[in-house]
Amino acid sequence: MNIADIADKILSVSEKSGATQAEVYAIRVRTASTYIDDNIPKIGGSMIETGFGLKYIIGKKIGFSSSTLAQEKPQDLVERAISLARVNNEDEKFVSLPEPKKVSDSADRFHDSSTASADSTILMEKAMEVVQGASCDNVTVPNGSLRTSSATFHIRNSLGVDVGSKGTIAFGFFTAKSEDNGSVGEGVQRCWSREINSIDYHGLGQMLKEQALSMLKAKPFKEKWEDSVAVLAPSEGTEMVYNLIGFAVSGENVNKRSSPWSDKMGEKVASENITVIDNGLSERGLLSSIVDDEGVPTQKTTILENGILRSYIFDSYNANQLELQSTGNGIRRTARELAGRFSSPAVCAGTTMEVRPGTKSVDDIIGEIKQGIYVEHFAWPIVDAMSGNFSNEIRNARIIENGELGNPIKYALWVGNLYESIKGSVLVANNPEIHDKRVMPTIAFPNTEIVGQ
Amino acid sequence: MLETMTTAIESLRDKDVSFADIRHESHASTQINVTNGIIRRFGRATKSGTVARALVGECWGMSSTSESLSSNVCKNLVSEAVRSAKANARFSRKSLDLSDVQPIEKTVWQKCQLDPAKVSTDEKLELVMSLDKAQKIDDRIVNTNSVYNDSKIVFQLVNTVGSKLEWDELRITSVVQSVAREGNRMQFDYGVKGGSAGYELLKSINPEEFGGNCAKGAIELLSAEKPPSGSMTVISDGDISGLIAHEVCGHASEADEVVKKRSFLTDMVGVQVGTDQVTLVDDGTLEGVSGRIPFDSEGTPSSRTIIIKNGVYEGYLHTLETASLMGVLPTGNGRSQDYNRRVFARMTNTFFDSGDWKNEEIISETKEGLYVLKTLSGMEDVVGGGVQCSALKGYIIKNGELTQLVRSMTLAGKVLDILKTVDAVGDTLHFSGGGACGKGEEDFISVSHGGPHMRAEMVVGGG
Repeated sequence: MNIADIADKILSVSEKSGATQAEVYAIRVRTASTYIDDNIPKIGGSMIETGFGLKYIIGKKIGFSSSTLAQEKPQDLVERAISLARVNNEDEKFVSLPEPKKVSDSADRFHDSSTASADSTILMEKAMEVVQGASCDNVTVPNGSLRTSSATFHIRNSLGVDVGSKGTIAFGFFTAKSEDNGSVGEGVQRCWSREINSIDYHGLGQMLKEQALSMLKAKPFKEKWEDSVAVLAPSEGTEMVYNLIGFAVSGENVNKRSSPWSDKMGEKVASENITVIDNGLSERGLLSSIVDDEGVPTQKTTILENGILRSYIFDSYNANQLELQSTGNGIRRTARELAGRFSSPAVCAGTTMEVRPGTKSVDDIIGEIKQGIYVEHFAWPIVDAMSGNFSNEIRNARIIENGELGNPIKYALWVGNLYESIKGSVLVANNPEIHDKRVMPTIAFPNTEIVGQ
Repeated sequence: MLETMTTAIESLRDKDVSFADIRHESHASTQINVTNGIIRRFGRATKSGTVARALVGECWGMSSTSESLSSNVCKNLVSEAVRSAKANARFSRKSLDLSDVQPIEKTVWQKCQLDPAKVSTDEKLELVMSLDKAQKIDDRIVNTNSVYNDSKIVFQLVNTVGSKLEWDELRITSVVQSVAREGNRMQFDYGVKGGSAGYELLKSINPEEFGGNCAKGAIELLSAEKPPSGSMTVISDGDISGLIAHEVCGHASEADEVVKKRSFLTDMVGVQVGTDQVTLVDDGTLEGVSGRIPFDSEGTPSSRTIIIKNGVYEGYLHTLETASLMGVLPTGNGRSQDYNRRVFARMTNTFFDSGDWKNEEIISETKEGLYVLKTLSGMEDVVGGGVQCSALKGYIIKNGELTQLVRSMTLAGKVLDILKTVDAVGDTLHFSGGGACGKGEEDFISVSHGGPHMRAEMVVGGG
C-alpha cells in the first residue's frame, strides 16, 4: 500500500471516531550513504524509513501521535492520539487546520531521479573523488560522509487537503588534515545540492587540501582589534544569518513575543544592502517542494527589503492567530536529516532563505576593508538570536589589512552583536552558495571585534 | 524477535564476512510543550527499525529498514549490508580481527521507582503547567516555555559470535526557559532536570523554585554587562567544566580519531597532560544520568574508563574495531543515534572527577577572575585541541568576591595549556540534566557531562 493510501485510511478512522478535524502526514525516505575514514570508504549504507504523524483534534483539544506502523496498526495510532486529545487542555489559539488550496506545479518538480537512485557504491566513487582531490604527501582525509536522500511525503486533512511532493538532497561533509614537522592544520568542506551530479567532487577535494595546507602557515593571533569587519564565507555567514533572521521573523516567535522584531514591521532593521527572501520554491533549495508539510502551497515571501522588515513567516497555527494566511512555512523536514521527521508536528520555520547577492566580488569587498578578517571556518558559527550576541572561535581565517588578504591566523575569537552589526555598512558579495536551507553569498559584517588568545 | 534475528545471522555463510550483527530498536516517547500557559504540543511518538551490519576486510556495510521484522526482511538486510561491505572492501588495506569478541546472552531491563508509562497524563500535564505558571513572576517575563519528555528504547541484538541481548534505556527530562524583555533588551535563562530514570526524578521538582529561579535569572540578565575579553583566571561551574571535559578531551579520546592519528591526544598514554588535580572519566555504568547504557550499540557492556588520572593520560574510548586495532578490550563506547545511523566511538557520561576544594574557597581565594556558569553550546576540535565552550552568564571576581553579573561569553584556548593551569578543583560533582551529543555535526546520542568547580587560565570572548 502506498503512503497516500495509508494516510487516507488513518484519516478515515480518525473521522469515524469523532475527530472534529484531523491531519495525517506520511513520508517515505530512502537514503544511501558512504563514510570516508582515513582515506578509504569505510562504511556503505542504505536506509528506508516510512512514518506517519497524526494530529487529532476535538474542538480545540489537540493530540499528536506518530509511528512507523511496523509494530502497530493505523487504529492504534488513532487511539493513542484520541487519548491524548481527550485529556489535553483546550488551545484557545487554535483556529483550524489549513483549507485546501490550488497547487499548480507537479509533485516531482524538485525531484532528481539520479540522486534518488544513487546507491552507496555510486556515493563511494564520488566520495573517493574528493579524497583524490585532497590527498597529497602531507594531507589526508580522515573523515567524510556523502549522503543522498529522496523523500516522498503526502498530507491529508479532514478539510480536504490531499496533496504531496517529492524531493531529493545530496549532502557531503569532509575534513582534511595536513601535517608538517609536528605542525597540523585542518580543512573542512561541505557540499549541498538537490542533484548529486551537480557537485564538483574533485574540486571540493582540492579546496579541502588548500584549506588544510594554508592552516600550516597560520600564526596565533595575539592582538585585539575593535571595530573590525569580518568577511564570512557563505558556509559560516549563512548559519548565523539564518539563525538570527529566521528566529526574528518566525510567526511563532512573534506571537509568543520572544522575537526582538515582534513590533518592528515596516521599520529599518538592517542595512539597505540586505534583502532576504524565504523561497519555498527556490530552484536550488533543498527543502523546495510544491507544498509545505501542512499541505499549504509554498511561496516566495520577501522578509527584508533593503533592510526594511516587510513580512514574517507563518505556519497555519500562527497565521490564524493574526487572521493572516499561512506563508507555506509549516515545516517538519530538515535539509540534513529527512528520517524521523514524521515524529513531530509541523512548526513555523524557514524553507530556503535567500539573501539577494550584491554586485561586488569577494575580492572587491576585501579591497574596501581597512582592517578585518576573512573567515572560512568557525568551530561552529552560533549567535544568541534573542540578544544578537555572539563570540565564535575562528578555525580557518586570514587577516585583511588595507584591502589586502594577509596571513592565515588561528586562536582568535570573533565577538559582537549581530543585530547591531547588520544595521551597519554591510557588504554583500555576488557569489551565492547553497548551504543547508540557505542560499547566500559572502557577507562582510562591520562593527565587530577580533580577540586574540 | 530474537529468534528471527538469530536465524538470519546464523544463515549467513560468506567466507568474506568476518563479523556481522543485527540490531532491532523500538522507540517510544512522550512530549509535552507548554508556551505562555498554552499546551503547544502533546504527543506520543513511536518508531521501530532494524539494522544489519557486515564486516569485510576493514570495511563495513549497513542496511536498515522500518518495515515489520520478518525472516525475509532480516535476510534482505544482511544481504544488502554484505553487498555494500564488499563494494567498499576493494579499498580495504587490512582485515580487522574481531575473533576476540566474546558472546554474551543477557537481558537487562532498567529499574525505576515510577514507570512514566504508568503515571497519568493528567499528572504530567499538571507538572508542566505548574512549571510554566511559576515563571510568571514579573511583567518583564514576556515568554515562558516548559517541556516534559520521557523516552524508552528497547533493543535486541544478535551477532555472528553468538551474542543474544535484550535491554532497554529509559530517560526523562524537564526543561524550563524564560524570556525577559525590557525596552530593546532581551535575555533568557533556562533550567534542566533529567536523567536515566523514571518519573520519580521529576516528582522531586519544586515547580515554584525550578520555574521561578529560571525567570529570576532571565530578569537579572537584563542588567548584565558585556563580559571582559582576553586571557584571565576562570572558575567554571560543574556544568562548564563538564562541557570542556566532553567537547575537548572527550571527543579527542574517542579511539576512532586516534587510530587514524587525527586526534591531538594520539600517542599520549603515559604523558602528563594536566596538573595532578585533573582526573577525567567516561562512565556508561553511572546510574541515573543520561548517558547510562547497559550495552553499547555493538552489544559490548558499558564500562568506566579513566581517560586522565592525576594529570597523566591513560586511555581511549573504544568500539570493537578500535579495540581490536589497538590490542585492548572494547570499552562499550560503540554507539549510534538510531537504526538509521552508523556505529562509531562515542562518549557516555564524561566528567572531570572531584577534588578537595570547597566551591566557596575557590572563589574567595581568587583575587581577580571570572566565575562562569551554565552551558550554551560547545564544539570539539579533535585536530587542534582548541576549546569553544559558550556560557550563558558569569560574575566578575574581585578580591575573592563575586561582583558584576556579565552575560553570554565563549571560553577558548588550547586545552593542553588550560589543563596545565588547573590549580583548584571542587569537591562536588554536578552532572548535566541530559543532552544530545553530535559528532562531526550530526549523529546525536544521549550523553551527560559533568564535573566540579575548576579554576584555570583561559581566553574569554564576550558578545
